[in-house]
Amino acid sequence: MLIINCPYCGPRDQSEFSNGGEAHVKRPDGSKEIGDREWGEYVFIRANPKGLFYERWVHTHGCRKWFNCVRDTSTDEILVTYKLDEKKPNLNNFKSVVKTPSGEPEVGSGNFTVEK
Amino acid sequence: MKSINLKENQFIQFHQKISFKFDGVKYFGYKGDTIASALLRNNINLVGRSFKYHRPRGIYTCGIEEPNALVQIISEYSEPNTRATIKKIYEGMEIESQNRWPSLENDFGSINNLFSPIFTAGFYYKTFMGPHKKFWKNLYEPLIRRAAGLGKPPKDFKGISNHIHHNVDVTIIGGGLNGLLVAKSFINTNYDVLLIDFDDQLGGIINNSNKISLIDNKEPKDWLKETIQEIEDSKNIKILKNTLVTTYNYINHLIAIEDRFVGSKQIEGKVNSTLHKIRTGHTILCNGHIERFLSFQNNDLPGIMLSSSFEKYMCRYGLAPSKEPVIFSNNSNSNSLVFSLIKAGLKPKAYIDSRSGEEIEPNLFDLIRINDVPLYTNSQIKGAFGNKKIEKILVEDSSGALNEIKCDCLCLSGGINPDVHLFTQSKGLLDWDEKDLTYKPSKPFQPTITLGSASGQFNFDNLNSDINKKLKTFKVKQLDVKLELNTNTKYNIEKLWEVSPQKKSLWAKSFIDLQNDVTTKDIRQAITEGFDRIEHLKRYTTNSMGTDQGKISSINALGIVSDLLDKKVNEVGTTIYRPPYAPLSFSAIAGRNCYEFYDPERKSPIHSWHLKNGAIFEDVGQWKRPWYFQINKEESMHDAVQRESKNVRENAGILDGSTLGKIEIKGEDALEFMNLIYTNSFTKMKQGSARYALMLGEDGMVKDDGIICKISDQHFIATTTTGGAATVLGCMEEYAQTEWPNLKVFMNSITEQYATFNISGPNTREIMKKAFPNINFSNEEFPFMTFQFHEFNGVPIRILRASFTGELGYEIYIPSNSAPKIWDNIQSLGKEFGLAPYGTEAMHLLRAEKGYIIVGQDTDGSITPIDLGLSWMIGKSKKDFLGKRSLTRSDTIREDRKQLVGIIPSNKADKLEEGQHIILDKEIKSPVPMLGHITSCYHSSTLGHDFALAVIKNGHSMIGTKAYASTSSMSTTGVDIVKPVFYDEDNKRLVS
Repeated sequence: MLIINCPYCGPRDQSEFSNGGEAHVKRPDGSKEIGDREWGEYVFIRANPKGLFYERWVHTHGCRKWFNCVRDTSTDEILVTYKLDEKKPNLNNFKSVVKTPSGEPEVGSGNFTVEK
Repeated sequence: MKSINLKENQFIQFHQKISFKFDGVKYFGYKGDTIASALLRNNINLVGRSFKYHRPRGIYTCGIEEPNALVQIISEYSEPNTRATIKKIYEGMEIESQNRWPSLENDFGSINNLFSPIFTAGFYYKTFMGPHKKFWKNLYEPLIRRAAGLGKPPKDFKGISNHIHHNVDVTIIGGGLNGLLVAKSFINTNYDVLLIDFDDQLGGIINNSNKISLIDNKEPKDWLKETIQEIEDSKNIKILKNTLVTTYNYINHLIAIEDRFVGSKQIEGKVNSTLHKIRTGHTILCNGHIERFLSFQNNDLPGIMLSSSFEKYMCRYGLAPSKEPVIFSNNSNSNSLVFSLIKAGLKPKAYIDSRSGEEIEPNLFDLIRINDVPLYTNSQIKGAFGNKKIEKILVEDSSGALNEIKCDCLCLSGGINPDVHLFTQSKGLLDWDEKDLTYKPSKPFQPTITLGSASGQFNFDNLNSDINKKLKTFKVKQLDVKLELNTNTKYNIEKLWEVSPQKKSLWAKSFIDLQNDVTTKDIRQAITEGFDRIEHLKRYTTNSMGTDQGKISSINALGIVSDLLDKKVNEVGTTIYRPPYAPLSFSAIAGRNCYEFYDPERKSPIHSWHLKNGAIFEDVGQWKRPWYFQINKEESMHDAVQRESKNVRENAGILDGSTLGKIEIKGEDALEFMNLIYTNSFTKMKQGSARYALMLGEDGMVKDDGIICKISDQHFIATTTTGGAATVLGCMEEYAQTEWPNLKVFMNSITEQYATFNISGPNTREIMKKAFPNINFSNEEFPFMTFQFHEFNGVPIRILRASFTGELGYEIYIPSNSAPKIWDNIQSLGKEFGLAPYGTEAMHLLRAEKGYIIVGQDTDGSITPIDLGLSWMIGKSKKDFLGKRSLTRSDTIREDRKQLVGIIPSNKADKLEEGQHIILDKEIKSPVPMLGHITSCYHSSTLGHDFALAVIKNGHSMIGTKAYASTSSMSTTGVDIVKPVFYDEDNKRLVS
């Protein structure tokens, strides 16, 4: 189980939180004309990278506040959590120490030779 | 195999006899014995039959790694697959062997051994794909599946487990030499330390072998006693014995299981195990090593065991399983067994080493020569033979000549592995050590420290410096322990994985996985068939997939595969070790979260009244809601529902609607917020009025519905469906925080603060007048879809004129604490007007007659408001609301979408059912184009026949036509597609 550092309450067990998917996805302005493709991408399409990922979480069984974080999807490490009104951190500031836990290639998975 | 008792020691007392039963026969053991040591004491070594071939199997090890000796404990909930090498005996224990019929000695299933050439790798995959469906039902499932297996599942399991959470700075796993030394360094420091050992005795290698002769110039036994005392006296260290760490999760989260009844019978109703959930700053792994075996023909015969296990039986249980075992080794680890045997006045019948004379340690050489032990260097065992026990072995010596040696016991050592399971669970990386021929921990992924043989340090040379170096960050005092060894050697091993059999035969078996009956031949076959990736090979052959996870054999398999593929072992890789380290029961994982504690039960304030008045409850989410009320025990559900619904139509009914979600929305921008969240427009709505509203997802599909009461532009109260309350509040919070943080709006759940009574029926107004005499309920003063605040006997109440039944109706909102009194009052006042309570089933019937939908029943996440015929509820002039843009997507405006319609049987006497498919043809001819299905279906006594709501393709334009509903007996029922309103279409009763 992860420990997640709620920017309002501090570190808590993962069971108190819910995941909200990719962060910084902008909702198109409804008062303007929105094309089918643009709207479809907003509703249905999300990034799914292996590695660093901006992500939303909500402290459901706590302060009920939403916040953002940077999570390494290959190791589950949460590198930073920040409030919604804070600027999103530059991903280049984070070094993924171990690329993936078993040293697999960046795309795909499977049990490949253990390498450092 | 004839065993003898050695001297008494601190763990075994020969004067404390314990009786137990194995397969119905009574035996004696001593206090402190495990099932295995007690059976060996009674010269029993045949303890089970193997998984696939039903081969006779004995006790192979003396610990958690045991692949063979799994037994069923009859006297304890019939717990299956218990490792005999771990479970301690107690007075009156009853044990049964597994996977044999009719008896262990004469097992019918052993016929499988004769057919073994067809049960090769991939047997199940190949066979179960086989020729005909009937084979599955009549042959595979009843016969093959039954023949393969371990114990029987317990029938009446009553185990109770507690969960305990720990939050510590340091967790030391393993209380052996290294674990104790680490714990010693932490004595009286500021660190909270947890020391966990699986055994009931701390000491590990000090107790289990004769490797160490002196520690700090003291007898190891004395040093151990002193050290344990010091650790126990230290306030900052907690010791958990009999506790096995099974799981190492992310962020140093460990799960460990503690056996609370070691050496005594579990008491029914008492906690028999504790699951420890540990969050720790650092994990220090001192969990030692596991010896591996070697593959040769019949290496599974009873009487063969690992050499360190033999030594453990001697040192720990005062028992030599045999007086003169043969030892076969390719490494220096079995030196101490030779030493222990000779120290006990016994000697090996022969010592066989695959290494050459130069490589064998000089002191071992001396020991063997002085004691006249036959020595075979550069030699290998070609096979072991005997009937249900080992009787002789065939040794190929350095000259290539074959020697037959008669023996009753063979001790094997194929080298040792650091116990890396927990380290790899923590996602640490392993490195192959070409010299020691094993995977060793290299780079930890978490704050994990490995020490001693768990880190691959098989010698004691760097004991102090290694601990001091790795504990540096803690700034604890430096260690300086002086160690003297009995067998002063460096670990040395020669590569040997498998000895090929003397004669090639289809029946010759060299096992690589004893628990799953995998032979080295299966590995070869799998590679020939193309499964040469280690993870594929594992699954195809089931190698190391038993409950022991191949603890004594998985590295051997890698070695054999690497030789076959002509690759290095680190190129072959290793399979992933997954938690749990050893099986733990579901009851331990469930803990107290079962039965009534499995999920919280939510009850309305009126619950006790319902109980007294014959309510039958249904679960709606976590809520208990009255489904229907029985006036007597004989009344069927159908009769009760028809009676209740008829009474609502003719007189009046009252429903406890307290479970409906209620959300209060307040703030300067509440109006704008509500306009954005719901499809309806609330701008022109008058204060004090209410509106039925829909909430969509961004995909345009109906997510929830409810009634919105507008108190002012800054204050709304929304109701939600019973099950959707949390989701709707969550959705509001999400959008308020993430999309429209500029809006000043706050929302909170008031579901449990208010009880809700829904009273409806033609007599309702009379009842309301009686119950609340100071309120004017006339149509002019209190029109449909308005609400009023009142005070009644000092209780603030809100009355909303709305209806879910199609009759004149009011909803009364009362603070929960005052609700039961007012409910009782209404019940007694309403009697003269025929008021009766009704449940959710009658409510569903009544609303369906009116064509009111239930979100989640008539919709399924793929239905838009337009599909429901509710386009009038969409605030088209609004610039934006949740899901607005999606309502004009190409998919949502397509004509053949499934739309809500009503269905009645063409022949009124016919019955309909929920879930029936609507089709166009009377005859069912496959493929059948399906239009849609029935979502709600009831019998209406008002209409006098069945009726249904359905979603069918292009349904709105099909109204007035005929179709068919398919039945489960492949026939059809003719139906008329009608408007989804069956009662009072122009809402006269609603506004009367």
